[in-house]
Amino acid sequence: MKDRLGWREAALALLIAVLTYQVVVPFVVIIWTSLKQARPGEPDFLTLSFTLANYARAYGNAAFWHTSWNTLSFALAATLIAFVIGAFMAWVLARTNTPLAGLIGFMLIGRIVIPGILIAISWILVASPNIGLVNQMALKLLGLRNPVNVYSFWGMVWVQALELVPLVYLLLAAAFQAMDPRLEEASSMTGAGNWRTLRRISFPLALPAVAAALLLLFLTTIETFEVPLLMGTRAGVRVYTTEIFYDTSRTPIDWGLSSTYAMALLAVALVLLLAYFRLIGHGERYQTITGKDFRPRRIDLRSWRYLTCAVALLLVFLITGVPFLMMLYASLLPFYQAPSAAAFASMTFDNYWTLFHNTKTIAPMINSTILGPATATAVILLVALISYFVQKTRMRGRRLLDILGFAPIAIPSVVLGATFFWFYLIVPLPILGTLLIIGLAYLTKYMPVALRFVSASMMQIHGELDEAAQVAGVSWARNFCKITLPLLKPGLLAAWFWVMVHAYRELTIALMLARSQNRTAAVVIFDLWEEGSFLLLGAFAVLMFVVLIALSAAAHSISRRFGVREQLA
Amino acid sequence: MRSGLITAVTRRRLATMAAAAAILTAPTVAFAQGAPPLTAVEKIYAELAALPKPERARRIEQGARQEGKLVLVHTLRGPLGAGHVELFHRRYPFLALDVAGEVGSQDAAERLLAEETAGRHLTDAIVTAVMDLDELIRRNQVARYPTPAVEAILPRYRAFIDPQNRWIPWFWSEHGISYNTRLVPPEQAPRGWNDLCNPFFRGGVSFDPAENRFLSGLNAMLGEAGTLRLLKCIGANDPIVQRGHTQRMELMLAGDHMVQGDNYLYHGVAMQRKNPAAPYAIVYSAPILATNDVAAINRNAPNPYAAALFADWTLSAESQAYLAAQLRGPVTLPHPFLPDSVELIDNIDPPPEVMDRLLAGWYRYVEKQK
Repeated sequence: MKDRLGWREAALALLIAVLTYQVVVPFVVIIWTSLKQARPGEPDFLTLSFTLANYARAYGNAAFWHTSWNTLSFALAATLIAFVIGAFMAWVLARTNTPLAGLIGFMLIGRIVIPGILIAISWILVASPNIGLVNQMALKLLGLRNPVNVYSFWGMVWVQALELVPLVYLLLAAAFQAMDPRLEEASSMTGAGNWRTLRRISFPLALPAVAAALLLLFLTTIETFEVPLLMGTRAGVRVYTTEIFYDTSRTPIDWGLSSTYAMALLAVALVLLLAYFRLIGHGERYQTITGKDFRPRRIDLRSWRYLTCAVALLLVFLITGVPFLMMLYASLLPFYQAPSAAAFASMTFDNYWTLFHNTKTIAPMINSTILGPATATAVILLVALISYFVQKTRMRGRRLLDILGFAPIAIPSVVLGATFFWFYLIVPLPILGTLLIIGLAYLTKYMPVALRFVSASMMQIHGELDEAAQVAGVSWARNFCKITLPLLKPGLLAAWFWVMVHAYRELTIALMLARSQNRTAAVVIFDLWEEGSFLLLGAFAVLMFVVLIALSAAAHSISRRFGVREQLA
Repeated sequence: MRSGLITAVTRRRLATMAAAAAILTAPTVAFAQGAPPLTAVEKIYAELAALPKPERARRIEQGARQEGKLVLVHTLRGPLGAGHVELFHRRYPFLALDVAGEVGSQDAAERLLAEETAGRHLTDAIVTAVMDLDELIRRNQVARYPTPAVEAILPRYRAFIDPQNRWIPWFWSEHGISYNTRLVPPEQAPRGWNDLCNPFFRGGVSFDPAENRFLSGLNAMLGEAGTLRLLKCIGANDPIVQRGHTQRMELMLAGDHMVQGDNYLYHGVAMQRKNPAAPYAIVYSAPILATNDVAAINRNAPNPYAAALFADWTLSAESQAYLAAQLRGPVTLPHPFLPDSVELIDNIDPPPEVMDRLLAGWYRYVEKQK
């Protein structure tokens, strides 16, 4: 008993220390900066005189409220569309006998490895007025001029929604797989059909994951940058992140103002998080993993399964196929041209040779290959602990751990990157210019999403397992490592994959903290983008896709070796 | 003819003499204007300025050898910047280079400003557009570095030189009008800046979001009232505002829109060299806005000799030839593709209150923000 308490307390103390350093300190810096007119580092910055001048400037003009409206409506529309598509895919692939489910799931998850900036570019090439593939075909075949326009509010919503579908899928598929089929069987035995069972049993049981998905989708869209930058600017739709970007694109950067914008995002995140807690207030209602063994049951759709297969294939083609094929196509061209016989005749591997001959691209690939898995592993361990203390203990103030772990979602990457940059400039720890500073920033950035993944799975594990371990005299550490973590495997694996890929391809923070020795793959992508080498960028993205798929396959293989039998798809 | 030649030679001599005088008197001028006392770095540079050229060059190289390192923020991106740095490294292999090369001009200035504000002296020199140095200059963060290397700058570009030696101009960027020859018939081709208001181009002229350098260039060409008038009529012509100069160029050449209302011109030329069929034409009859790109040295540079070595080398024959080969604007050699006849407008930063009004005009008329 003494041993159990000792380990638990040590883990809790470590957790509090890490969260304080990784979350509280950046927030203090941001709040402090928002109340100051002096820049960090200036003598006045550390004095105890504060002002609300930044708040008056940020919120006191009509443009801010217009931008707020744009941001919220964009986020809401993209969230709803992504959720509907993602939930459909998760249910069809995880819980029905739809043919090719494994392949479709793999392709859907494969989409995550394609950087957001490339997705946006691909859709520009597909649905841009005049040169977009769809518009050209519409003109040739139907005589219609520009029926679709990606540079519009709904164009932005569509691309962003497709970008988010894999996140919904990962969250909900893990929850659906962890569902005890006996509840559904009981429903069927009472005469309820598949649809009624889905509506009354399956979805309500997945409510934590559903709420987490909606929350994450909404906040991720508010924080998203690539789509608003590449499409929104031309469409005249400005959102918070583009405002912050343009505000921080001038010298001297107004850090006070950008911190104040981050405070608005924090307020939105806190309100939503509290609503989320209220919604899932009684966690025990969602516990489906108990001490009894079970295997998730697949629902027989009979002949409808071919229709669900066709719809899922179409969706996965739009989500993964279109951007990947556009990148592959562009990577083989000597100069960009719309698809035609001449374009295919001119194809060459020159872009790939150019990349292989450029030694400057190899070191960043290696850096990202270290950063991605290392960040993901650290984040997963951290959020598993947070999730455990929040969901499985009666400790006072446990909600605060959840709030702390989730709060960084409100910090836009540009502000988070700047905060770490400033912090380590002022505090002379020798990590500027190393991979460690980027890794620490990523730890803060990716904690919120991973926490929701793992919390949703943790909520499904019944407390009786913990109690049984205690009765059997199993130490807390052994119980956590040997019982809790293995039961969380679907959620953990999904979260690990999500964080690994995103840390691999993250741009904004890497760019702000980049020096000569710690450039990452995403920095190379940005560089190629800025110099207009879209075709080289396509080649680089195809290579990155291959590396990330290999990494994911290796991780999957390792996890199977150590006992994980669940499939992501 | 002879008279013209004499005049040209005399002008050049006068300009050289003026530059030499400026170099020699710079420290005095700085003190006379009430500038703060020289830092250790600036004292080194003032001492160097008093030496004969060969001795000066020898001392700089010797000092750089002892330092053994250069920390630089270089804003020529990707292979272009990497190639430039590699050339420098080949010339001075004894220096270990720590180069950040993925940042924009404003970010380079902001990085130095952040480091110095925090009291960390990490960076030796930055490459940036001169107008992005404003804040650093206001806070006196840039070293005064008089160098005879600027003597090589062609008369046409001598206005880029700072009499107070706070920057070393070594290339320039051209902002001008270009168009897609497949979408714009010759008779409709734009001739000047006011043609961007031609209804024929309605919805087909693209710009980046608000850029100080573009607005200050227009202001230098047209004055404040003229610039605001132009912005108003451009805005009425339903312009495309999209971020990314090179991206916009690629889109225009692929047929997305007709005209680049403002963009660097070299990228289209590079694409045309790669693919001679690329439908690209530059409007040479419209004045071209020239932005001065410079090297600036941190007045607290940890490696002042290495920084000086790099600053001088930027104006060397090999550095300038490299720029020309890459279609960028050298200052000691003729431009690689712009004809001599083209009219250049020096991009001079207007007072902040004027820039504020120009930006407000841009947002109101062109981006139509509420």
